[in-house]
Amino acid sequence: MIPAAFDYKRASSAAEAISLIGEYGEDAKFLAGGHSLLPLMKLRLAQPTVLVDIGKLTDLSYIRDAGDHIAVGALTRHRDVETSDLLKQHAPLLAHTAGEVGDPQVRHRGTIGGSIAHADPASDLPATTLALGATYVLQGPNGTREIAAADFYQGFLTSAMAADELLTEIKVPKMDGAGWSFQKFNRRAQDWAIVGVAAWRRNGDSGVALVNMGNTPILATSVTTALSGGASIAEAAEQAVAEAEPQADLNASIEYRTHLAKVLVRRALEAASS
Amino acid sequence: MADTTVGIPTVSVTVNGVLRRGTPEPRKTLADFLRDDCELTGTHLGCEHGVCGACTIFMDGEAVRSCLVFAVQAEGADITTIEGLSAPDGTLSVVQKAMNEAHGLQCGFCTPGFVVSITALLRDNPDPSDEEIRQGLSGNLCRCTGYQGIIKAVKIAAGQSVDANGKAH
Amino acid sequence: MTDTLAAPTANTGGARFVGQRVQRREDLRLVTGHGRYTDDVVVPGMLHAAFLRSDIARGVINSIDVSAARQLDGVVAVFTGADFNAEIREHWVDFEGPGGDASPFRVLADTDVRFAGDPIAVVIATSRYIAEDACELIEVDIEPSTPVIGADAALAADAPVVHAGRADNIAGAIPAAADPVLDEIFANAAHVITETIDQNRYLCVPMETRGIVSQWDPFNQELTVHISTQGPHGVRAYIGRALGIPENRIRVIMKDVGGGFGQKMFMIPDEVAVVLAGKRLGRPVKWIEDRRENLMSGLHARDDRMTVSFAVDDTFHILGVKCDLIEDVGSFNAAGSSSIGFVGLLFPGPYKIPRVGFSAKAVFTNTCGRCSYRGPWMMETAAREQMMDIAARRLGIDPLEFRRINVITSAELPYTTAAGLVYDAVSIDGSLEQAVSMVGYEAFRAEQAAARAQGRFIGLGLGLYVEPSGIAMGNMSSEAAIVSISVNGDVTAVMSSGSHGQSLETTVAQVVADRLGVDFERVTVVQGDTAATPFGPGTGGSRSAVILNGAASQASGDVRTKMLEIAAHVLEAATDDLELEAGNISVRGTPSKGISVTEVARIAYLRPQELPPGMSLGLESHARYTPNAPFTFSNSCHACVVEVDAVTGGVKVLRFIVSEDCGVMINPDVVEGQIAGGVVQGIGGVLYEEMAYDMSGNPMNTTFVDYLLPTATEVPIIEYGHIETRSSTNPGGFKGMGEGGAIGSPPAVINAVADASPTSSTGRSSSRCRRRTSAPPSTLLADPAE
Repeated sequence: MIPAAFDYKRASSAAEAISLIGEYGEDAKFLAGGHSLLPLMKLRLAQPTVLVDIGKLTDLSYIRDAGDHIAVGALTRHRDVETSDLLKQHAPLLAHTAGEVGDPQVRHRGTIGGSIAHADPASDLPATTLALGATYVLQGPNGTREIAAADFYQGFLTSAMAADELLTEIKVPKMDGAGWSFQKFNRRAQDWAIVGVAAWRRNGDSGVALVNMGNTPILATSVTTALSGGASIAEAAEQAVAEAEPQADLNASIEYRTHLAKVLVRRALEAASS
Repeated sequence: MADTTVGIPTVSVTVNGVLRRGTPEPRKTLADFLRDDCELTGTHLGCEHGVCGACTIFMDGEAVRSCLVFAVQAEGADITTIEGLSAPDGTLSVVQKAMNEAHGLQCGFCTPGFVVSITALLRDNPDPSDEEIRQGLSGNLCRCTGYQGIIKAVKIAAGQSVDANGKAH
Repeated sequence: MTDTLAAPTANTGGARFVGQRVQRREDLRLVTGHGRYTDDVVVPGMLHAAFLRSDIARGVINSIDVSAARQLDGVVAVFTGADFNAEIREHWVDFEGPGGDASPFRVLADTDVRFAGDPIAVVIATSRYIAEDACELIEVDIEPSTPVIGADAALAADAPVVHAGRADNIAGAIPAAADPVLDEIFANAAHVITETIDQNRYLCVPMETRGIVSQWDPFNQELTVHISTQGPHGVRAYIGRALGIPENRIRVIMKDVGGGFGQKMFMIPDEVAVVLAGKRLGRPVKWIEDRRENLMSGLHARDDRMTVSFAVDDTFHILGVKCDLIEDVGSFNAAGSSSIGFVGLLFPGPYKIPRVGFSAKAVFTNTCGRCSYRGPWMMETAAREQMMDIAARRLGIDPLEFRRINVITSAELPYTTAAGLVYDAVSIDGSLEQAVSMVGYEAFRAEQAAARAQGRFIGLGLGLYVEPSGIAMGNMSSEAAIVSISVNGDVTAVMSSGSHGQSLETTVAQVVADRLGVDFERVTVVQGDTAATPFGPGTGGSRSAVILNGAASQASGDVRTKMLEIAAHVLEAATDDLELEAGNISVRGTPSKGISVTEVARIAYLRPQELPPGMSLGLESHARYTPNAPFTFSNSCHACVVEVDAVTGGVKVLRFIVSEDCGVMINPDVVEGQIAGGVVQGIGGVLYEEMAYDMSGNPMNTTFVDYLLPTATEVPIIEYGHIETRSSTNPGGFKGMGEGGAIGSPPAVINAVADASPTSSTGRSSSRCRRRTSAPPSTLLADPAE
């Protein structure tokens, strides 16, 4: 389990990182915590020729109050998201979800930006930021742009981010007072979700997103639409998979995933409503 | 082979209080750097893909898996391995002593990773609940003990009194 | 909870240490990172090996091109089957004896590949990094063909053969014998209950993978091998025969070993390839198996299907059983890994079953070979204990009641089973009652009913079994110990077999210290080096407490006798009047008249003129011990409580109780540690672990992301009950119990899930361990009967 050889560049600024990635092109990759990338490299499922290490860009590790939202730097470690008082107050669903990622060692090393940029549909934080209506800030050679989480995920492990763009910040709307729940069904506590659900409700508004129910994290808009239309939780939960495209794998058949999604959406909405 | 425009990157890390410099190939993991270059073989490799936790070390104060970090990423880091947790004369740390008292190991292969994880857990949470102990250990696999002695060891190290079955009182 | 305390052992030494929770002396090095496992061994000039493996389950090798790999900087050699396969002279292991050569074997795949993971080539390079790079440069052209996956495919009429040259895929068989008496029993029985029970494929998964460092010294014609193994002597003898090297020119060293559980009983061809490569090159070569290799090709286990019929009378007594077992042993299975003989022999287990009909087949498939995993025969308990619950529910009685009706009671001892095994010193009904008392069986039934009324589903399952420990047959018949007291009065016990996690450095020292009347701290145990230790088969078959400690006890007893004779001579007293305790020998009733063990030792070596006339010098004994029976039976009962989420199918284990009777406990901590480890392996095998293959023969669980070992978050606190019924087979009264945890727990968990399932309240539920095919965890186990 040895990765293929690669060239290593340590970036000292976001701009330098972007410039380096531009220089080396398609086969270059950013390296942050490395917890998504290294296992793939060790299995030689990923063989980047150049890694641009952005791990030293400590100025991208922050959690700040930015008025109507909380700004989370992309290199903020899961553990720091989990324990942030600011997030616990204004976006507790995000803090809680970060504490559900993997195990302690993963949370000490993995970053929120790495998790989102990897765009794994089985990953927790993409779905939660999607449910929360977060906005991602991408920096490229020509400056920064913002993209809604809802527009970011395009396919399995692929996103709207260009190869020479770097995710620098996640803007999380403040959700003070919202009811929320993160439901994760897995065999063991630290496993990837077989199915997961992130949900919040506040004053008739709601957001629901699904983990591992398709090629991308899924925004369950039919559920929230049904709720807005006055449907009961049970009725709305029946709409859980309207946007999903669940796949079968060793852990669950399509039918079982579908069943779990409905159950977990119902449980999440009940918890978020209590 | 790996090279950069400015030459092979050097790495300077402090390991158990000693500054170590090297020029590891970029793909060399921190675990291999510690085991091969620093000759600290107490850090074990049970899976090499970031699950079993046998390679857990302290890196800048946090318990992390050294098999999922390239040595070059550790530039400037302060690292403590299992060898750094006991005294040179063999005197055990509180956690190491508790593992011995509680029969927290059998084959011992996973033990260094557990000792680091427990040490980190108790530093951040000196009086953990049962649930917190289990969560705190969830990144380390053991195949011999069924975790019974290990959980008991955490309680002993935390100063909780435990009965023969490992239940705290 | 301990029901019966062991009586002090008269005239054989006191029990200052045996029976105590003595803390392990192995731990000082292991908790500090100073253990020495195989990957920690570094030898000057050492090269590194990596294997290219087949990713195709079955196919003909058209060509292997290693030229590009050989040209990579740092690559020293690349070997294929053409280089090595003809080098092997004999390939039987001690366990099989001569004739074992007939089993399928080759070092590297040459003409064809037979499972995904089959080693095709080995690269030897200056670093493992380069060796793995070079593997990517080897080009292999394989013509794939439809693989044989699963026992049904292996037995199909038109099945292709896994091993060319064989007539079929039968690796072993026990044909059904005509038994008119049993047929008559079934024809007249009030009830006949039949069910087929599957057990999924799950694996040993030691935390340390395999590893070997092989050093051939051409100038001394000597081979030194460091290896992660359960038995260094077996490795030595095997290499000697395979490569034609005299055994006395081979030294095999086993330092710390990170678990084995059966997987490391014998060498696998990959390890032989490393030895061959090193010998060919005249350079030391290291191979450390990576985890993917360990899961994919490091040998598998379990994977059985058994159809069982019970004939039961109208008072719920079992009159007879018929069993038919099919084992999938994969392609290149390890010696002794097929357990069909033992399953049939042991099936009646803890119950009075007067007549048993048994038939079985072991079949080859294009999958990784099977090895002997902790209680390799445990399908007898897994199937029988599930059947006890299934039958009880169909008969309309509680599973506990059904067990109580049929269990062998202590009053009925000695009891001879239908297969002719004799139980004398067991407490089967005692452990059943202790376990149900600890779990609070009656109270649980009330709690269960109340929970159901609230829509919560909890269940309780039992697993009762008799464990055949200390198996003493063939190469496993004996162990040896060389016990000596040196000039300064310190004790060394050189043991034939060594620990791969069993705490033998501690428990052997406890036994020896007691026999010699010295402090535990004065005893050092030497193990794991063929240059120092006498022949032993290695750990396995729950043998060490009985046989290894039997040897320690016997050798220590010899030394003790001699010490007492010397002391008697010096003190001018009769040996019967002497007391030996805490390193001193004194005359009973005259404590002032005494001599220390150290002083006796000095006389024995330095002052021979003070010895009794005619006595030989020294204080040392080399004893080889075999117990007085082929099995030493221990017994145990597991009780498991689970909660099932009836909506998601999730299962949570709430309680786990084990009542164990392993005779006199040498060290209760070690006993409980063995129980816990085994239990959690069984919980894992049922709820989390499975090695699955797709129909193309691809293994689906080759990383720890897919092969799920239980973690601390999944296991409950395990509660122990102890009964100590002295064994009659060995002087210490010990019984082995190292495998039992993994034997009793799977059916206990499965039975608990079935008991929790919503339909079981109707009394019509059954339980079966099903292969896990993308369905909710609980429905895989609990399945409403027709």
